[in-house]
Amino acid sequence: MRDSASVQQRLGLTPGTPPLLSLKSVSKYFPGVVANESVDLDVYPGEIHALLGENGAGKSTLMNIVTGIYKMDAGELIVDGRTRDFASPTDAIEAGIGMVHQHFKLVRAFTVAENIHLGWPETPKRISRNSLETRTAQLATDLGLAVNPKTVVADLSTGEQQRVEILRVLARDAKLLILDEPTAVLTPQEARELFTALRAFTARGNAVIFISHKLEEVLEISDRITVLRNGEKVATEWTKDCTEKSLAQLMVGREIVLTETHKKSAARAKAAPVLSLSDVSLKGEQDTVLKNISFDLYPGEILGIAGVAGNGQRELTYVISGLSQASSGKIFLDGEDVTRAGARALAQKGIGHIPEDRLHSGMAPTLSITDNAVLREYGAPPLSRKGWFSPRGAANLAREIASIAEVMVPDFNMPARNLSGGNQQRLVARREMRIAERILIAAYPSRGLDVGAINTMMRYFLDLRDSGVAVVLISEELEELLSFSDRIAVMFHGEIMGTCPTDKADVETIGLMMGGTRQEDLP
Amino acid sequence: MTSMRLQRMPLAPPRVAFVLRVLSVLLAIVTAALVLWASGHNPLALGAKVISSTFGSSFGLEDLSLLFSPLIYCGLSVAVALRIGAWNIGAEGQFNFGALCATGVALFVSGPVWVILPLMGAAGMIGGALWILIPTLARAYADVSELITTLLMNFVAMLLVYWLATGPWLDPSGMALATTSRLPVSVPAFWGIVHWGLPIAILIAIALSLFVTYTRWGYEVRIAGANPGAARYAGMPVRTQLIGIMLLSGALAGLGGMMEVAGTVGRLQGGISNNYGYIGIMVAVLARAAPVGVLATAFFMAVLLNGGIVLQSQGLTTHTVLAVTGLILLYAAIGDEAAHYKILRTKAKDG
Ligand SMILES: Nc1ncnc2c1ncn2[C@@H]1O[C@H](COP(=O)(O)OP(=O)(O)OP(=O)(O)O)[C@@H](O)[C@H]1O
Ligand SMILES: [Mg+2]
Repeated sequence: MRDSASVQQRLGLTPGTPPLLSLKSVSKYFPGVVANESVDLDVYPGEIHALLGENGAGKSTLMNIVTGIYKMDAGELIVDGRTRDFASPTDAIEAGIGMVHQHFKLVRAFTVAENIHLGWPETPKRISRNSLETRTAQLATDLGLAVNPKTVVADLSTGEQQRVEILRVLARDAKLLILDEPTAVLTPQEARELFTALRAFTARGNAVIFISHKLEEVLEISDRITVLRNGEKVATEWTKDCTEKSLAQLMVGREIVLTETHKKSAARAKAAPVLSLSDVSLKGEQDTVLKNISFDLYPGEILGIAGVAGNGQRELTYVISGLSQASSGKIFLDGEDVTRAGARALAQKGIGHIPEDRLHSGMAPTLSITDNAVLREYGAPPLSRKGWFSPRGAANLAREIASIAEVMVPDFNMPARNLSGGNQQRLVARREMRIAERILIAAYPSRGLDVGAINTMMRYFLDLRDSGVAVVLISEELEELLSFSDRIAVMFHGEIMGTCPTDKADVETIGLMMGGTRQEDLP
Repeated sequence: MTSMRLQRMPLAPPRVAFVLRVLSVLLAIVTAALVLWASGHNPLALGAKVISSTFGSSFGLEDLSLLFSPLIYCGLSVAVALRIGAWNIGAEGQFNFGALCATGVALFVSGPVWVILPLMGAAGMIGGALWILIPTLARAYADVSELITTLLMNFVAMLLVYWLATGPWLDPSGMALATTSRLPVSVPAFWGIVHWGLPIAILIAIALSLFVTYTRWGYEVRIAGANPGAARYAGMPVRTQLIGIMLLSGALAGLGGMMEVAGTVGRLQGGISNNYGYIGIMVAVLARAAPVGVLATAFFMAVLLNGGIVLQSQGLTTHTVLAVTGLILLYAAIGDEAAHYKILRTKAKDG
């Protein structure tokens, strides 16, 4: 390790500048789990410090300790040269440390202005809605984060909600901003804007801790990188000296071999489509969110759906999985009209669905891991017979799913929200793959997963495909789509702009279609 | 060097939680005793009086049982609704209306007891369910909060009972001024004045707790109560479940009303619900909506209420009792949170 003088110099600081934040052998234990073990970490003014590690490595926990959500079991936390022990996030923010969580904590029914001022000691005791909004607008311009103070949070896109979260933290004069997987839910465009804002923030002498599983992004944005493995710190490196490969190796402790995934399925015999959508439209509260969607899905193919998030992908998954009912048009599964079949019937017919928003629709975070793991199979033997439910059978199934999902669970009665974000995703993904006998709908399935887990999952998708299951893969990562799908369809404003076989697709034409050009109008 | 710190655990160990519950109750009683003492009473003497007149004689125990039974019905009613995430503040009204419907059957239908009694039970349950029907439909189809609607229905039911008991259904013999005539049938007693309403309540509590753990429907209700979004995703009929559970909740309170009028009181009269419906909310919350837990908390509230009645004869008002129950709730909430913490002795490592 380098001595600290050179760290400051390399960061362009005067020698002897103390770190903004310093952790000294911090440990945190949960019953049956070592979340952090003797972790040391220094974060200096002006740097963007990335925190990497596999799912469950202890990244979120460590940052929750820094912000006073958890108490450490041993170790020391030094902020601005003083030993601190924050009792709550409010204490932490008073000391200049703010965090934006993996799962947002905004009040969805409140406006942006209300959320910004909620629980802020500087909010005047009596204040009118108008001045609340003026203050918010002022803050937004000062800090260079455009938001509309009047909008209700529930109506914002994910990227905008995140901007509100960041504004909330920065408004409280944070000097250290902690972002837990901020880009997992952002469009590439939104991620660009975020990076610009972060660079401006650190240029003012502040610091950022940045957690992410996307290595290329970490290499682009960070100055230094700390890697955790099984709760322990493995290394802190200068980003310049790292490559994706070296980082991956540090994270898992051995060289990871990413399996060759390019092999395409044998040319399809003229099989009958497993699923056909004909002219399907869906009306939302205000406008039409799906317009005249028609396509056939064949057994044994992966159909990639490209497009900027929010262009109808979620609604499409809802219609296919029976969560929403098409306003017009028809859906056929194996030739049978299932337009009005409903979610349960479709799941029983073998449609699995990894939802976009696991915490709100895929899980009940306050219930036990067992209850969550059996959500798809509780209704049939061996779990249920004649209306009777077997808690023992449920526990067995939960153990089985957790073990193939490679999720370490110390206690299956623990609420599912105590699992790390990536482990929740692994569990949901496995649960859905089990029932996907005909079709698997996977909406952003790699969100929150570490590199190894993504690779394992994709390999499994390919196995599913080769066994004749059709996979609908929705993703914002073009690269992911290009390397795994057999065909790619592009969505824009609730419509499909065009579909083409992956070997004939190129980034440029897909980009044009994502921007709203129809396939037939392409140059 | 060793230091001590607190760690919050995701689950409270059941033993610790139980001990803290008991402690919080004791603490509340001690607090109340201090207040009584400060206002010039002798808390020890009063306490002895309460205990001896509650547990010291079979009369005391019988009185206690008669309070225990309606609290179970109302507690279960609120608890069941809580399971699916609904607050039934209207057990009081459903209790009244259930009693009213059962009385109607008793007064106007004649037949052998073994026909009339089950009919009254059914009438009580249907009445209770009817009384929560509008709040239920409003919640299920228009997302109107049941909190207010169930509460409002209480006043209507209460006034309806007053009106019937002092008007159309007034005892024609002229002996009573504000009640119906004595019902021709009653729930038989099995011990002194304690009738079968109590054992039936206990059986229902046990059945409900088995239902929650060991039936498919119980699992679905658990999911729908915790996250309706997940229930819809799994294709569960969330709306039907909500309606079913809320009606069941009303029916339980209504059955409690039937048992009260046909077992304990014998006539329909104003105020027959005696706030059981409201206390049932406390019973359910303290039991964390667990049906078997309701048995324990209902018993405990019955002891308190009975103590209050004894204290009244000693010149204290019912407010004292209400204050003690409030304190218990407060301490129990603190205790529940505290149960999540454990003290760690850690060896602080050197710098
Ligand atoms: N409140 C809690 N109770 C019990 N165990 C917990 C709790 N919070 C976290 N854990 C456990 O601690 C470990 C570390 O979790 P943490 O959330 O810090 O992982 P992470 O590095 O953020 O992973 P991911 O990349 O998946 O988000 C996991 O095994 C997790 O299950
Ligand atoms: Mg995490």
